[in-house]
Amino acid sequence: MTIVLNTIEEGAASEQISFLIKGDVEVVNTSGMKIAHCMGCNQCWLKTPGVCAIKDDYESIIKKLVDAENLWLVSDTCFGFVDWRGKRVMDRIVPMLNMYVEFRDGLERHELRYHPLNFGLLYKGEADRQFLEEWSQRVASNLGGQSLEVIKMKEGEPCI
Amino acid sequence: MHIVIINGSPRVQKFSNTDKIIQSFGKGLQESGDTYEFYSLSNRKEWDAAREAFISYEQIIFALPLYVECVPSIMLEFLESLPTERQHPAQMSFILHGGFDEGHQMRLCERFLQSLPEQFGCTYGGCLTQGGSFLIRMRDDEKMKKAMEAKLDGYTKMGQSFASHGNFMTTEARKFTGPEKNPWFVHLLFRLFIKRLVRKNFEHFAQQWGCTRPLDDKPYLRLERNAAHR
Repeated sequence: MTIVLNTIEEGAASEQISFLIKGDVEVVNTSGMKIAHCMGCNQCWLKTPGVCAIKDDYESIIKKLVDAENLWLVSDTCFGFVDWRGKRVMDRIVPMLNMYVEFRDGLERHELRYHPLNFGLLYKGEADRQFLEEWSQRVASNLGGQSLEVIKMKEGEPCI
Repeated sequence: MHIVIINGSPRVQKFSNTDKIIQSFGKGLQESGDTYEFYSLSNRKEWDAAREAFISYEQIIFALPLYVECVPSIMLEFLESLPTERQHPAQMSFILHGGFDEGHQMRLCERFLQSLPEQFGCTYGGCLTQGGSFLIRMRDDEKMKKAMEAKLDGYTKMGQSFASHGNFMTTEARKFTGPEKNPWFVHLLFRLFIKRLVRKNFEHFAQQWGCTRPLDDKPYLRLERNAAHR
């Protein structure tokens, strides 16, 4: 199963998402959801393993990821990188890993709490594509999976 | 020289490793006759004052932990709220740290930080990079205390260095990172001995926090299985 976290205004990206991402796909539109920034409290690693201390709408996302093989982030960009809304849903992914450390692909990594997740990125706006590709690669490596594609979304026709 | 330091960590100041780093670094600045003021983005009430300081002063340092291979989302939100033009020129420098000890882990984020200053009409003053910050969190552990103090003393020395050079573009700042990647024998030692030791340490730490589940627990899988049994 593929989970798509759409952090762009609902509706605007739907057509491109369904055109580009095929298969058993569930799109989660996060713009109307209550999602806080990860506050780095470490509770999901050291106090209540796997369970985030922040009780908001992100818990439903983690529950879906536990069943997923692929994760796509749909995000607007700023400063050449994903914007804070896109990064926010990625920073909260920490409960998918655990505190234990291992070497994976020759790098220090946290162990996977569940299973590998592949990671893809669909982005909007003028960003540093090379940078986003490297970032996606690293995110995928953290999640034990492969980097799927990094795709720039087509901008809509300007309204007349 | 007066320096504005902005703590980009979302963790409350009291438990913030970045805050400990800033305090140690700031001690070094003060010992060399510099002054500094600092703001914590974890406290929204400080955002307006932090923005004001960012616009008004010429030496700005962002201190931040590595979050999912780049800048924490809370700091991105703050950056997006800053004006991109300014009247007075300024220099932006960075103190980047992370839990893992390999320098290599932080290089991508460092590249992002390097690209930021010109987008705010500032010059780049370099990035001080060091991993192994989990030690700071383990400060209550007697065995770890010495290592942690040595680590923070290093930041005080870098505060003195920043005061005398005005940036992190120095050899000592570059050397501060330590090894880029662990050599093969560290991998071997890790697999043979260190891994078990580290696991024990984490488990001990978790116990002190009142953790009653195994650290590799799979809570949501359990829910699902229980539901299937019913």
